[in-house]
Amino acid sequence: MVRDFSLFTSPGMQRMPNGDPHAAVACVHDAPPIFYSPNNTRDGRGTWVITRAKDQRRVLQDTATFSSHRSIFASALGENWPMIPLELDPPAHGVFRSLLNPLFSPKRVMVLEPVIRERAITLIDRILAPSTSCDVMKNFAFPFAVSIFLGFLGLSDKELDTFVGWGRDLLHGENVKRTAAALAILGFIDELAAMRRKEPAGDFMSFAVGAQVNGRPLTDEEVRGIGVLLFVAGLDTVATAIGFDLAHLARNLKDQQLLRSEPDRIGLASEELLRAYSTVQMIRVATKDIDFDGAPIRKGDYISCATMIANRDPEEFECPNTIDLAREDNRHTAFAHGPHRCLGSHLARREIVIGLEEWLSRIPDFRIKEGTAPITFGGHVFGIENLILEWS
Amino acid sequence: MRIIVHKNKCQGHARCWAQAPGIFNLDDEGYILPGDIEVAERDELLASRGARSCPERALEIDATADALLTRLLFNQARGGVK
Ligand code: SF4
Repeated sequence: MVRDFSLFTSPGMQRMPNGDPHAAVACVHDAPPIFYSPNNTRDGRGTWVITRAKDQRRVLQDTATFSSHRSIFASALGENWPMIPLELDPPAHGVFRSLLNPLFSPKRVMVLEPVIRERAITLIDRILAPSTSCDVMKNFAFPFAVSIFLGFLGLSDKELDTFVGWGRDLLHGENVKRTAAALAILGFIDELAAMRRKEPAGDFMSFAVGAQVNGRPLTDEEVRGIGVLLFVAGLDTVATAIGFDLAHLARNLKDQQLLRSEPDRIGLASEELLRAYSTVQMIRVATKDIDFDGAPIRKGDYISCATMIANRDPEEFECPNTIDLAREDNRHTAFAHGPHRCLGSHLARREIVIGLEEWLSRIPDFRIKEGTAPITFGGHVFGIENLILEWS
Repeated sequence: MRIIVHKNKCQGHARCWAQAPGIFNLDDEGYILPGDIEVAERDELLASRGARSCPERALEIDATADALLTRLLFNQARGGVK
């Protein structure tokens, strides 16, 4: 039941030029569907690894047995409070989810479409004017995704680079950096909440400090839990997805041409790219001893449901390692399963689709710039650091 | 064809709605409205695509109707019923 596999240390998981951590991770499907990995978290803890999509669905839908309360952010500060709603279990979870869902619903996101598109166009035109090459991550993916997100929260993007740096240190940094970033974010959120309590503005934090659940206002800890989660969630994920997508299209000219000539396909194709290049993993904590298909899970054990693994499951997807932009019946789980399904998934999807549409309609045939190599890495959250493209 | 909606399983991915907004209706929070869905024949392909993209398995294509759809698709692939 124990296997020498880790999202942090296995071959292909390290930071490396021209890496393909998603292909590397797919090798777990040669082995038993559930196993124990003795060193599979940032701080060297063991986790059970659930490889099959159907088993991950079972874990993530069964919130009574598999709790999401882990204080992953607070633990970087030696504290113990939940990010909300992610680290609350039902029924408390549902109350906060209902509060936030309407802000992130598919219909609400549709209204934002013109703003998202305008932002993409502005950034791309700025790249196109002086040059035939750019670093997609620095010049497009991050400024695009993070400014949309800050705008969504009603925040100015003046400090965008600082925020992105915090996100990077928090998600990918060593312990010292991680703690410093957590402190900086917490300070920022607490201060913002205090300001909005005194004088409400039209932003998300004003909504949070004025909101009611179960007929009472939110506590300070709840406001902080929501503020931190929403802030952190938007700093890295969408930009990384756009980076992996454009890297794929730069290396696969046929796919690039297909989407360029038939932009109607971008919606479906973006789902396939989400499947093939998923970046997040969910970790749950067992609330009791349970035998899971023969795996003796004990109370307190960590259970890892990595989307990049489930989304390469041959029992769920035909030829999972083939990236087929026309794939139908694509029940990928890039945004997780169960009640914790990513709150921002609809916004994220629109950003990715619009970002690709505008990129493809404005930037001519692009490829990875000769002599450069995108640096990729595995770990708790997969990522891509740079992506230098050129075109003529 | 009929689609059986397991409302308790829906987690608001809106994948069904994205494929077929005229067939699958969502509430203000983005979750599917309760009640099974009768699908007109001309919408069957679209509706089944929507149902088959639900990651939670919240949408079940009525088994009897499914058999009819398979036959339809088979016939289409052969260039129609002859
Ligand atoms: S795809 Fe499934 S989970 Fe998503 S809204 Fe439709 S029914 Fe709900």
